[in-house]
Amino acid sequence: MTQTAAGQPLLEVTAVTKSFGALVAVNGLSFNLNEGEVLGIGGPNGAGKTTLFEVISGLSPATSGSVRFAGEDITRLSAEAICHAGIARTFQLNAAFDSLSVRENVEVAAQFGRANRAVPGLRLDRCTRASVDAALEITGLIERQRRIAAKLPVIDRKLLMIAGALATEPRLVLMDEPVGGLTPGETDRIVHLVERLRAEGRSIIMIEHVMRFLVQLSDRVLILHHGEKIYEGVPRGLVQDAQVVDVFLGQGASRRLASYLEGRA
Amino acid sequence: MSWRGHLIVGLLSLAIAVALPFVFNINYLVTQVTLAFIYGTVVTQWNLVYGVAGIFSLAQMALFAVGAYAAAMLGFYFGWSLWIAMPVAALITVVVSVLIGLACLRLRGPYVALLTLAIAQVLYLVIVNDTDCYTTEGSGCLPFFGGVRGLTRFGELGFREWLGEDWRLGNYFVALALLALALIFSAVIMRGPLGLAFRALRDNPGLARSRGISRFKYQIWVFALSAFFTGLAGAFYAANYESIGPTVFSFSLLLFLIAMMTVGGIGTLWGPLLGAILLMGTDEVLRDYQEWRDIGLGLLLVFFVILLPQGLVGLINWRRERVD
Ligand SMILES: Nc1ncnc2c1ncn2[C@@H]1O[C@H](COP(=O)(O)OP(=O)(O)OP(=O)(O)O)[C@@H](O)[C@H]1O
Ligand SMILES: [Mg+2]
Repeated sequence: MTQTAAGQPLLEVTAVTKSFGALVAVNGLSFNLNEGEVLGIGGPNGAGKTTLFEVISGLSPATSGSVRFAGEDITRLSAEAICHAGIARTFQLNAAFDSLSVRENVEVAAQFGRANRAVPGLRLDRCTRASVDAALEITGLIERQRRIAAKLPVIDRKLLMIAGALATEPRLVLMDEPVGGLTPGETDRIVHLVERLRAEGRSIIMIEHVMRFLVQLSDRVLILHHGEKIYEGVPRGLVQDAQVVDVFLGQGASRRLASYLEGRA
Repeated sequence: MSWRGHLIVGLLSLAIAVALPFVFNINYLVTQVTLAFIYGTVVTQWNLVYGVAGIFSLAQMALFAVGAYAAAMLGFYFGWSLWIAMPVAALITVVVSVLIGLACLRLRGPYVALLTLAIAQVLYLVIVNDTDCYTTEGSGCLPFFGGVRGLTRFGELGFREWLGEDWRLGNYFVALALLALALIFSAVIMRGPLGLAFRALRDNPGLARSRGISRFKYQIWVFALSAFFTGLAGAFYAANYESIGPTVFSFSLLLFLIAMMTVGGIGTLWGPLLGAILLMGTDEVLRDYQEWRDIGLGLLLVFFVILLPQGLVGLINWRRERVD
């Protein structure tokens, strides 16, 4: 793994545009992420948040612009090569290998996600198994490791995606709505997990509609609207930004968020 | 099922298979069970592509034919011993299968079925439409691939000389060994990292790619691996009957083997084999109603696809889970 030079950002997104025909989902977007930083991304439905993840993770390459990771241009790399380079993501639609057990789901990530393998081998090595155990342990899925993924409740599917991402031993984790659709109690479990990852010094970008979650855990927040950046800065600044309040938060939510931020301060 | 469970089922089945020809030493039975072993070998490998990797390839009988023709032609034109021609034919089959896998790379679902069926049809037509005499030695005009009549007199396995009357038993045990090896081979693949990669790609290709699995690489792997024993089974089929003709391309046979996998349980280790034994048995019992055979097979397929898509092994697993 290449080490990023001091002061150089871990991820550099420069003038990235992604269009689907006439629709421009992400429009000339630029931002950086430093090693160990947690960046939260918010914005209305259809703002282009998920599309940005598709571009960074290589599932749907940028129409123009560039993405550099750890000093290397990854704009045109395949999704599997980007995974091997050290970026792992979760999906908004709770993706899993449905017929596989929880453990097998994580084994896939640990076996194939850490580095490119020339030959597949006949069995999982010790390193892979250790990585699987660690990911199941930290997400609390270890007791349910024999369950078939299709039968898991939503919270466990979310945790399973995070476990899979972690098992690839990434330098950057991208989470797409990690608490979307969860109860407050379940959300707390994810909050604790992200806090723990943050304390370990991991670099994370997360998309979330639940603003409390976003402001609570992010070092910096970025708000997208129609594929463009309308805000980038500390979470506290959100409620003071007229455009963010206007097109995204709304007056009521903005006031509640402001009092929440005050309560935390 | 645990490794131990599989081992016990395997050893029990093996014991029965070994004892069978001694308990009922009937030529017809021995020949038909030999054929069941051959088809069993094919479906356990086809299952890797179709069931485990979820790629709806219909090329497997064409690959079987490639193995059969390659062995027969090596024997016929070069006078090779079939014992050498068979493994070489299997390797040739692997090469052909990799090429088919490459052709299918950009396709999905039903398009893979269409393309592989078209490839099989082309191979069939190349064989039957070629009527030019490649050689006129021996039995008169013979096209390069043997034409509609097929190829004969390319040698045999030598069991007649060695076992006399009981030569069929020689073939029987070769077929059994072939099946056992093919089954162990697919068990090792299904339970190992390759099986994980195949199943991951089947369940969710996008997620699989995001977890570092190259579809290109593993699709080629599954086409290559599943071809070896398929080609070997084809080669042995030719050796067993001491002849090979274009009938191996028949749609009815293709349907028969798909039905075996579907009835037994797609994607499971024992399902395809169980299906092979059941369908060969049923086919025997209903011999007097030949004209209904294809309709019956079609109806059976419809029944299982709609009502029991997991097949019989799936049903057993489901019941076991309910009991747990
Ligand atoms: N594959 C695609 N083809 C065509 N249009 C697409 C595609 N993917 C996304 N879009 C469009 O791009 C825009 C951005 O979608 P995206 O999913 O990135 O939004 P989002 O910010 O993640 O929204 P949400 O909060 O609802 O998840 C939307 O208008 C969407 O319809
Ligand atoms: Mg989204």
